[in-house]
Amino acid sequence: METFEKGIDYLVRILRIIGGFSLAAMMMLTCVDVVMRALGDPIFGSMDIVQFLAVLVLAAAMPYTQVQRGHVGVSLLVDKMGERGQAVVDMITHLVSLVVFAIVSWEMALYAKELWDKGEVSMTIEIPKYPFLYLVAVCFGILCLVLLVDALNFWRKAVKG
Amino acid sequence: MSGSTIGLIGIAILVTLFFTRMPVAYVMTLVGWLGFAYIRGWDVGLKLLSRDFYDVYSSYGLTVIPLFVLMGQFAFNAGIGRKLYDSAYCFLGHIRGGLAMATVAACTAFGAVCGSSPATAATIATVALPEMKRYGYGGRLSSGSVASGGSLGMLMPPSVVLIVYGILTEESIGKLFVAGIAPAVFITICFILAISVYAFLRPSEGPAGERTPWKDKIKSLSNMSETLVVFLLVMGGLFKGWFTPGEAGAVGAFGVFAAALFRRQLDWKGFVKSLYETLRTSCMVLLLVAGAVIFGHFLAVTRIPFTVANWVAALDAPPWAIVSVIVMVYLIGGCFIDALALIMLTIPIFFPIVTNLGYDAVWFGVIIVLVTQMGVITPPVGINVYVVSGIDRTIPLQDIFRGSFPFLLALILGTAFMIMFPELVLYLPNLMY
Repeated sequence: METFEKGIDYLVRILRIIGGFSLAAMMMLTCVDVVMRALGDPIFGSMDIVQFLAVLVLAAAMPYTQVQRGHVGVSLLVDKMGERGQAVVDMITHLVSLVVFAIVSWEMALYAKELWDKGEVSMTIEIPKYPFLYLVAVCFGILCLVLLVDALNFWRKAVKG
Repeated sequence: MSGSTIGLIGIAILVTLFFTRMPVAYVMTLVGWLGFAYIRGWDVGLKLLSRDFYDVYSSYGLTVIPLFVLMGQFAFNAGIGRKLYDSAYCFLGHIRGGLAMATVAACTAFGAVCGSSPATAATIATVALPEMKRYGYGGRLSSGSVASGGSLGMLMPPSVVLIVYGILTEESIGKLFVAGIAPAVFITICFILAISVYAFLRPSEGPAGERTPWKDKIKSLSNMSETLVVFLLVMGGLFKGWFTPGEAGAVGAFGVFAAALFRRQLDWKGFVKSLYETLRTSCMVLLLVAGAVIFGHFLAVTRIPFTVANWVAALDAPPWAIVSVIVMVYLIGGCFIDALALIMLTIPIFFPIVTNLGYDAVWFGVIIVLVTQMGVITPPVGINVYVVSGIDRTIPLQDIFRGSFPFLLALILGTAFMIMFPELVLYLPNLMY
């Protein structure tokens, strides 16, 4: 169990590095493009690349944001419950989220396959889209693993009290 | 079952699930998807999930958000807040209640490079709270001024709320940003007036600080130089149409980064921290957008937005009364739900109503921001108050809420003024291209 958690933790950290790198690249590329355009020589297809980098940033950030409890929720009512009650509620909501995102991950992979078969490419420099969709699917999958670990921890808390 | 009935059931389930502490974004995705699939069939519903998520993640317009968040993070980690506060202190510190005024002014200045309220409150609080304590300020005035001043972070452009509003309603983000400037300055003045009244009634809460000689006052202005240059570059570029909002964000982020590097205020650790913090915030916002898009698709197939818009149009009420009711909904809703989530949830319903009444879409965006600003300092869920109390644990939560009350009054009066005189909001954006 502990190796499993450590493995997930490792995956989340790798994704975080990919996301951070893509973010910095996005900023630099856009700035260089603005300057080059002012000089009359814009970078061909920079918009396409920025778009794909943004996909990487957001997809890679999902598991990390979940680990960091970065999402907003309404804790007004649940805060009033006992430790055990909170753990039970949290476990259930995490499992529900897990099911939803597992479906998203699966559908994203199907969508990727569909675009692969159709040969969809980006607008100006014609980069194929499907690899990025597969990456998004993988990120949703890792998000599910994070949710699973959380749910298991809540389960333990609920049982032990 | 008619579409409207299914829609109402969906909204009821949504609100119930909110109270389980499940992230708002997840709840909107779940309920939106289930509702949509129930009406349109499961095959279409499953496809909707992957398409909506990918469309949101790969939307060029949304690249604006990570870039502007990054700009604020660089400014935060480079300690720009401290310098802004020092300058403001030089000019206002010697007046009664002057440190609180300096706090508000520093918040507005920091808001010029940062797009979110909690981030602005956190930045200025770490600098200003110890300073006000040192001069014997009461906990209420000091904490109230930081929590409320911080709320200006989302009105003063760049503003994450205005970006999201612009994307959802297809309004020009550049125009919305420019429209935020005058109201932000106006509300800053209202806050400063509120402080002077408060300090007049309770002199012990806000004693005057030391007077700064004019020579030092002038010198302190250099503290503001990089913030001012970056702000003028970003807003000027948007105003003149030199670059898209996304490019403005990238240029702004790089500008703050370069300035911080030049002044040796940002090390590798601060740089990496800015990147990771940006990932977290952007992901939070973008998942909310994706959830709202999915839920919006569900609402659209139930035809609820059209039904409500027709119903309101048939009401024989004057437009200002309808707008006031909408403002009240945001004010009350904002007490319980996160501002951004609330806006995304309600825009599909309220936006058509307001524009049908003949109101300007840009003006409405600014009014919504003003009202959500009230939400971040009102109990029970005032995010800025929690941020401030997290930074100084010695001030009780209820004191911060009480301390924010005079500012809330100022904000309500200021907003009423802008509802009566839309020109104050619209003058600058109407000058644009």
